[in-house]
Amino acid sequence: MEIIRTEALIKDYELGKVKVRALDGIDISINSGEFVAIMGPSGSGKSTLMHIIGCLDSPTAGEYYLDSVLVSKMSKSALAGVRNSKIGFVFQSFNLLPHLNILKNVELPMMYGGLSASKRKVRAQEILEGVGLADRLKHKPGELSGGERQRVAISRAIANNPSILLADEPTGNLDSQAGGDILEIFDRLHKEGNTIIMVTHDPIVAERAQRIIRIKDGLIDNGDLDS
Amino acid sequence: MAISIAESLHIGLSDITTRKVRSIATIFGIILGVISILVVLAIINGMNASTLTWMEQRGGTSKVDVQRNWNYDFSKGGEANLSLAEVEQIRKMIPEAVAFNSQVSLYSHNELKYRGLSYYSTVSGVLPDYLQVENWGVSEGRFITDLDVHESSNVIVLGSSAARDLIGTNDVVGKKISLGNNVLEVIGILDEKSWDNKQSGSFGGNMLEYMNQQSFIPISTAINRFDNTMKVSSLQVTAQSPNQALTLQKKLDQILLNLKQGREIFRVSSAQEGIMQMQANARIFSMVFVLISAISLLVAGIVIMNIMLASVKERTREIGVRIAVGARRIDIFIQFMIQTVLITTLGGVLGIGLGLLILDNISAYLEMEMIVDFRIMFSSVLVSVVVGLVFGIMPALRAGNLDPVDALRED
Ligand SMILES: Nc1ncnc2c1ncn2[C@@H]1O[C@H](COP(=O)(O)OP(=O)(O)OP(=O)(O)O)[C@@H](O)[C@H]1O
Ligand SMILES: [Mg+2]
Repeated sequence: MEIIRTEALIKDYELGKVKVRALDGIDISINSGEFVAIMGPSGSGKSTLMHIIGCLDSPTAGEYYLDSVLVSKMSKSALAGVRNSKIGFVFQSFNLLPHLNILKNVELPMMYGGLSASKRKVRAQEILEGVGLADRLKHKPGELSGGERQRVAISRAIANNPSILLADEPTGNLDSQAGGDILEIFDRLHKEGNTIIMVTHDPIVAERAQRIIRIKDGLIDNGDLDS
Repeated sequence: MAISIAESLHIGLSDITTRKVRSIATIFGIILGVISILVVLAIINGMNASTLTWMEQRGGTSKVDVQRNWNYDFSKGGEANLSLAEVEQIRKMIPEAVAFNSQVSLYSHNELKYRGLSYYSTVSGVLPDYLQVENWGVSEGRFITDLDVHESSNVIVLGSSAARDLIGTNDVVGKKISLGNNVLEVIGILDEKSWDNKQSGSFGGNMLEYMNQQSFIPISTAINRFDNTMKVSSLQVTAQSPNQALTLQKKLDQILLNLKQGREIFRVSSAQEGIMQMQANARIFSMVFVLISAISLLVAGIVIMNIMLASVKERTREIGVRIAVGARRIDIFIQFMIQTVLITTLGGVLGIGLGLLILDNISAYLEMEMIVDFRIMFSSVLVSVVVGLVFGIMPALRAGNLDPVDALRED
C-alpha cells in the first residue's frame, strides 16, 4: 500500500536576488513497510526532500500525498499532529534537548501527543530498555557517547509508534561500530513493519535498504529502477 | 493534541530553575517596581487611616463647625459672636441636625482651685450635645444635662488631665472646686483623647492632649454666674451622615451670611470637606507615584522582553526540535508566555516580601504609619502578571513563528 507519493515537487530558496532550486520536480512513491535509502551528492536536495516528507517544510510547487491525503491542504495544527503521531525524525546531529535527561527527551513527543505523565514515563522507559539504555535514564545527553545519543534519538522518534521513520544521515557522526549498532536497530524496526526512509552517503549502509533513490541536482537520477 | 497548561507550567518552572541566575537578573526590575508600588500605596493608606482616626477623635465625619473667620477684616464692621437668641434661631432652622452645641469660652476665668492647688484650664460653657458633637464620652460620673443648663447649675466636667492633676485619680466625682467666686461640683470626668500623628514622625506625641486639659460647665452657668456679657463664639453640629454634612455646611453658611447682613464673619467647615481634600491630595500623590512606578515597570518590562528575546534566540534549536516532534505553534507560544509570566509573578511576590521587610524597617525608623492590606498585595501581583503578559507576547510570538527547518539548522 502506498504511503508516500510526491508529484513534481519543486523547492526554491530565495537568497536575496538569487534563486536556488533545491528540488526540481521530484516524483517518488514509497509503500508502507518499505526500507528506502536516499543517496546523492552533497547539496543535491536530500535533506530538503526529507523535510518536506516530514511535514517540516512545504514545497514551492508540486503535490505531496501522505496516506493519500494532500498535505498542502492540511491546517498547521493538523500538520503538527502528523509530525507528532505519523512521523519520527532522526537527525545526523541527534538534536536532543541538552537540559532534559534522556527519559524526558523520549517523553517529549508523547507529551505533545497528550499522553499522561505516568503512561509516557512507562513507555519511554520501555523503549530505552529496548535500545540498551535502561541504566542511563537520568543522564543528560551530554553525558552519553554519540552512539548512545543516537539511540535516544531513535527512541524518541518511535515513541508515538509513527508509521514512517525519517533518518537524515543517522550514522554520519558515528564511528563504524556505533553506526553498526544504530543500523541494527533500524533493521529491527523495519522487520517490525515500520516504513523507513534513510539518507546516507555510505553505499554499505544503503545496501541494507530494499531500494535506493538517487538524487542529483534536485532530480531523481534513476527513478524506481534500482533495487 | 493540545499540551495542557499544567504541562506548560511545568516546562516554564524547570526552565526557570535551570537558568537561575538569568531568571533572578530578569526579575530584578520587577522587584524594584513592585516594592515602589507597595511602599507608596502603604504610605497613602497610612496617611488616610491616620487622618480618619483624627477625624473620628475630633467629632466624626458628620461634624460641621462654625467658627470665627480669621480672614475677615473686622474694621468693616460686625462681631464674631452670636446672641443666645440668634443661636436659638439658627437651631430652629436646622431641625435635621442630629446634635447641636453652642459654646462660649470663659477666657476671664481659667484657674481651677482645689485644696490650695491650682490648675489652669480652658473653661467652656456648652450644651449637653457637646459630648455627641465631639464624639466624646465620660469615663466617670456624668456630663452636663438639660436640667443643668435650665437651672444654671454650679457643676463642672473635667478633662482627664485636669482631673488627675488637680484632684488625683480617686473619688474625683463629687469633689467641690472653685473657679473665680463660684464653687462648682465635679460631676464627671471625660475620656482621654489621644491621637498620635504618625505622619509627622518624631514630632508627634498626643496631639489632642490640649483637649484633656479642658473643662466644661453649662453654657447658662457661664453666662449667668460668671460673665453676662459673654456671647456664643462657635457652634458644632452633627449631621445625619457625612454626605448630609456637606448639605448642612452650605445651609449653615447661608444662614450665617443672612444673619450677619452678608458679612463673612463666620467660617463654616465640615469634616467631610477635609476628608475630600485629603482624598484629592492622596489622589494626586498616588498618581505621581503610580506614574513613577509605571515607568520603572515599563523599563523592567523592556528588560525582560529583551532577555526573553535573547533566550528565544539561544533556544532556537530546541524550539525546532519541539516543533519536529509535534509541538504546535500555540504550544511554543504558551510555553514562552508562561515562562515570562512566571518570572514576573515570582518577581512580584519577591517584591512584596522585600517591600514588607523594607516597610517594617522604614516605618519604625520614620515613625510613620504605613498600612499594607490584601488589596495592595493583590494589585502588586496583578501588575506583575500583566507586565509578564504584555512584554512576553513579542518573544513568545517570535518563538512560535520560527521556521522549524531554519531552527534545526541553527548551531
Ligand atoms: N534555507 C536555505 N536557503 C537557501 N538555500 C538552501 C537552504 N536550504 C538548502 N538550501 C540549498 O538547497 C540545496 C539542497 O540542500 P540540501 O540541504 O537539501 O542538500 P543535501 O542533499 O541534504 O546535502 P548534504 O548531503 O550536504 O546534507 C543546496 O544547494 C543548499 O545550499
Ligand atoms: Mg542534508
